[in-house]
Amino acid sequence: MKSSTIYIIGIIVVILLGGYFFLGNSGQVSGVKPSAGNSGENAQEIVIGMKNYNYYPNTIKVKAGIPVRIRLDSTVVGCFRDFTIREFGIHKYLKTPEESIDFTPTKPGTYTFACSMGMGTGRLIVE
Amino acid sequence: MEIIKFVRELKEGRVEGEITKTIFVSLATSLIIFAVVYYFRLRSIEGFFDKYGFYLFFSFLSYAVIIPSVRQVRSFKEFPCMTGMMIGMTIGMISGFLSGFYIGATNGMFWGSVFGMSVGILFGTWNGKCCGAMGFMEGIMAGFMGGLMGAMTAIMMFNDNLKAAGVIVFAVCSVIIFGLNFMIYKETREFERKHKDSTLFTIIWSFILTTATIWLMALGPRSVLLQ
Repeated sequence: MKSSTIYIIGIIVVILLGGYFFLGNSGQVSGVKPSAGNSGENAQEIVIGMKNYNYYPNTIKVKAGIPVRIRLDSTVVGCFRDFTIREFGIHKYLKTPEESIDFTPTKPGTYTFACSMGMGTGRLIVE
Repeated sequence: MEIIKFVRELKEGRVEGEITKTIFVSLATSLIIFAVVYYFRLRSIEGFFDKYGFYLFFSFLSYAVIIPSVRQVRSFKEFPCMTGMMIGMTIGMISGFLSGFYIGATNGMFWGSVFGMSVGILFGTWNGKCCGAMGFMEGIMAGFMGGLMGAMTAIMMFNDNLKAAGVIVFAVCSVIIFGLNFMIYKETREFERKHKDSTLFTIIWSFILTTATIWLMALGPRSVLLQ
């Protein structure tokens, strides 16, 4: 067998082995329960605006286990309306101030929220 | 067809025949270094593979694609101006873009850009100088642009299909690098080889790039978006 053939086989083996170890565990969405949209009176209502080219307020505290409803008011424009919380797998374009994102955080911690392009960012602290 | 001759040449003993060997050595070196660092330092980081595994793996693959081209260019030392400019631009752009993209995905725009520009400008100028000042300049410009663009692309896709984009970016860059290998083959068929780098060259560069990438990804600073 030619040495080049051995190297090609070696490359394939190394890629397969590396791929198995490195890509075997894909990131799982955790720490959140999706809500149906009618979270009721108990929901923690949050309205986010825009100030200095970023979300305002950009640090939000919520309680774990209680439904959260996030709305973006009319000052939020452009790609900032494409709201994401990556760790929770939340990504929604809130076309109007009436539209909302509903979810229930279950795991305390600090999570980053941002627009889809990462131009506006903030922190969601789940206590 | 010439491309078929080139593919056949990959199995022979000429400069092109060493490309497969260099890819293998670079990949093996990166994975061995990673295994050692992981055993002694990284396994204590919670969810390490979830966070960084994908980007580290594709960084290693990227270096395994870039280093053989650097070696191939160094084998002939001198090229005509047009070819040298193309070499400087391609290697500068691709090395800057790939390293900037994967570091940008884990550390943010600033560190992705800095790392991408550093790698891109270094390899771009180093290889572009094979045709003098023009190739050198082209290497600087392409490395600068590639590094910034790679990190920016990663950040702009951060909340979208970033991993799928990572695979597509790598695939496209690999095809471009393969095209460069073919172009150099076409240009140098009649030339005598002027320089031969040993396997140690591949190991040293793989070591430097891999270590820097692992350190930045796992232990380096983060941007606001990625905290």
